[in-house]
Order: sequence, then structure tokens, then C-alpha cells
Amino acid sequence: MNEYLCHDFKTPRVDTSRRLPSSFRAIPVIFYVALIGSAYVMTMDYFGYKHALKQKTDAEERTKLSEAQRDAFKAEKSELEAEAVKAEKVAQWMEGARNIQPIAVRIARAVQTETRITQVAIERSEQVPSNLALTIHLNGSKVTSELAAIESALGQLYYRSYSPQQTKNGDVVEYHSTLVRQAE
Amino acid sequence: MNPKQIACIVLLMIIGSMTYVAQIVHNKVAMTRTQAEDAESAARTAEDERTMAEIETGTFKTDTEELRRFLRSWLPSIDHVQTQQEADQIIEMSLRERGISLVRSRKTEPKTNTGNKVIPKSVLTTLTIEEEYAKVLNWLGDIERRLPASRMKVVQITGGSTGRQLKMDVSFETPIFDLSAVEAKSGAKDKSKTAAKKP
Repeated sequence: MNEYLCHDFKTPRVDTSRRLPSSFRAIPVIFYVALIGSAYVMTMDYFGYKHALKQKTDAEERTKLSEAQRDAFKAEKSELEAEAVKAEKVAQWMEGARNIQPIAVRIARAVQTETRITQVAIERSEQVPSNLALTIHLNGSKVTSELAAIESALGQLYYRSYSPQQTKNGDVVEYHSTLVRQAE
Repeated sequence: MNPKQIACIVLLMIIGSMTYVAQIVHNKVAMTRTQAEDAESAARTAEDERTMAEIETGTFKTDTEELRRFLRSWLPSIDHVQTQQEADQIIEMSLRERGISLVRSRKTEPKTNTGNKVIPKSVLTTLTIEEEYAKVLNWLGDIERRLPASRMKVVQITGGSTGRQLKMDVSFETPIFDLSAVEAKSGAKDKSKTAAKKP
């Protein structure tokens, strides 16, 4: 049979289903746009997520490391503080434990042979242990110059005579003073 | 409802689902980013704290260097005398080696220092010796050298029984240090003092 004839015999047919409204025709386009958009957003989010996760992990590691180092520094400082407290206590004690023998030797050497020392007493102050109460009993003709020589000799040991007093008791001159240590 | 409409509805549902999933994913990523920023902020804070602790420790170390060096230099002397017997032995040895034969009196007694954790005990020694001038003063120097931490409380020198001799009454306190009493985190004072030096 010829094709032309067949067409000629066709009769107009109504659609089995109605056409979509024109607004519905945008739905496939929206679908493809949404598909592409979602794929783009999710892809970007994936990389963003990976980056954020790495950043978070790195930051947490840095925090841990920094905290460990901070704790180590604090522990070191605590040890240093304890050592400093010990040192301060020891220094306080030692400040009041300076040698007395050099003082006695200096006093003995400062006095000339014609002057006689009958007594030397050095007593440490209870309140201020670095201070020393000095008492010297001298017998001689040049006591004043001898005492000046003694004070000068003690000055070489960084001791200054504070409120020196002299009392004469017969031939003996009693000399009292407080020796105060000066900064070197 | 014809198949085309059904297909459109299905597509709309797929679009809704995709949008919903994308939103969930985006929210999760945003949350992770916030967490990462918080972690970054915490890391910066921790680094700042570490830097601060490092600076404070370094400053304190420098400030107290002299004081701590002073302590280190004294540690051998402090460790040398830890009991009354050791102090007694040193005094005995010094008297013998310096040839001090005439010891008129000698008394040693322990002393407890309440309130002083670093020096909880000390030994009080009172001696009266009589010897030649040089021997007496040399012995005084020797005992101060052997017991450098001891604190001479009273030294009284007068004439002896003969013209060549001196009589010396001496009283001194030898501390028994307990440095372990001060532990870390006991609250040190943040200051440095010039270390005392013996002449």
C-alpha cells in the first residue's frame, strides 16, 4: 500500500492526555538547574567540609601542643619560684652570718703596740642579725686615734660604726658602737 | 492526573529532596566551619597563653638568676651539715687540728625554730677556749670556714690566764637546713635580691 494513501485515510485524533500547562513546562528546566546547582553546592561544600575538618584537626593539635608547652613553662616557673624562695631564705640567713673573724683581726691589727686592748666583744643583734654590737676596752695614750684607725679598718670590710660612744673608766676607755653592713 | 503531571510532580519532589539534602549538607559544613573557627580561636588563645607563660618564665628566670646561683653555690655547705652530730664532729676536728687544747667549757644544744620551714632546727654551741692570740683567732676563722652557714652570735675576747694567752667566749648557731620543705607552687615572691656574700 502506498504511504500517501494511508495518510489520506487518517482521521484527526484527540490527545490521549491533556497538554501540560505552560507553567509546568519550566519544571524540567528547574530540575536540571536544581541538579546542577545542588551538585555544585554539594561539591563546594564537600571541599569546604574537608578543609574545615583539616583546619579543626590542625587547630586542636596546635591547642594541645600549646597547652602542653604552657603547662611545662608553668611547671618550670613553679620550680624556679620554689628555688627562689629557698634562695631567699638562705640569703636572709647568710646575710646575718657573715664572718666575724676578719673584724677581730682588723681590730687587732689597727691598734698600735703601745695601746692595749683588754676586751673585744662582738654581739649579733637578734632583731637585725646583720648588725653587730661592738664593745672594745682600750688602755693607752692615743685611744682616740686608735679608735679612728679601728673604724677605718672596719670600713674596709664595709662596716660603718653607727652611734659610737666612748666612756672613760679610769685608764680604760670603753667604746661601744653598732656595726652596720654597707652595700659593697 | 495524567503521566506528564505525575512526572512533573516527581521532578518537583526530586528537586525538593535535592534542595533539602543540599541544605542539610550545607548546614553541616557551616557547623564544621564554625567548629573549625572556634578551634582556631582556641588554638590562638592557647598559643598566646603559651607565649605569655614562656615570657613570664624567662623573665622570672633572668630576674632570679643571681639569687638562684647564690643558692647553688651554697648547696654543698648546706648539705655538709645536716645533723647535730656532724656539727659536733666538725667543731671537734677544728679544735684538734688547730691545736686548741684548753677548752674551758663547751655546750651544744639543739634548737627548734617554729615557723621557719627552711631552717626547722639549729644547733647552738657555746665554747670558752684559752690559747695564744694567733691560735684563737685562727681557730675562729677556721670554724667559720668549716661551718660557713653558722651564725656567730657572741664573740668575746679577753685576756687569758697568762700574758700571751687570750680567752675567747664564743656562741654560734649552726642551722640545719631542710630545703625540701619548700615545694613547687608554694608562691614565690617575684623579686630578686642581691645575693649576700660572705667576706
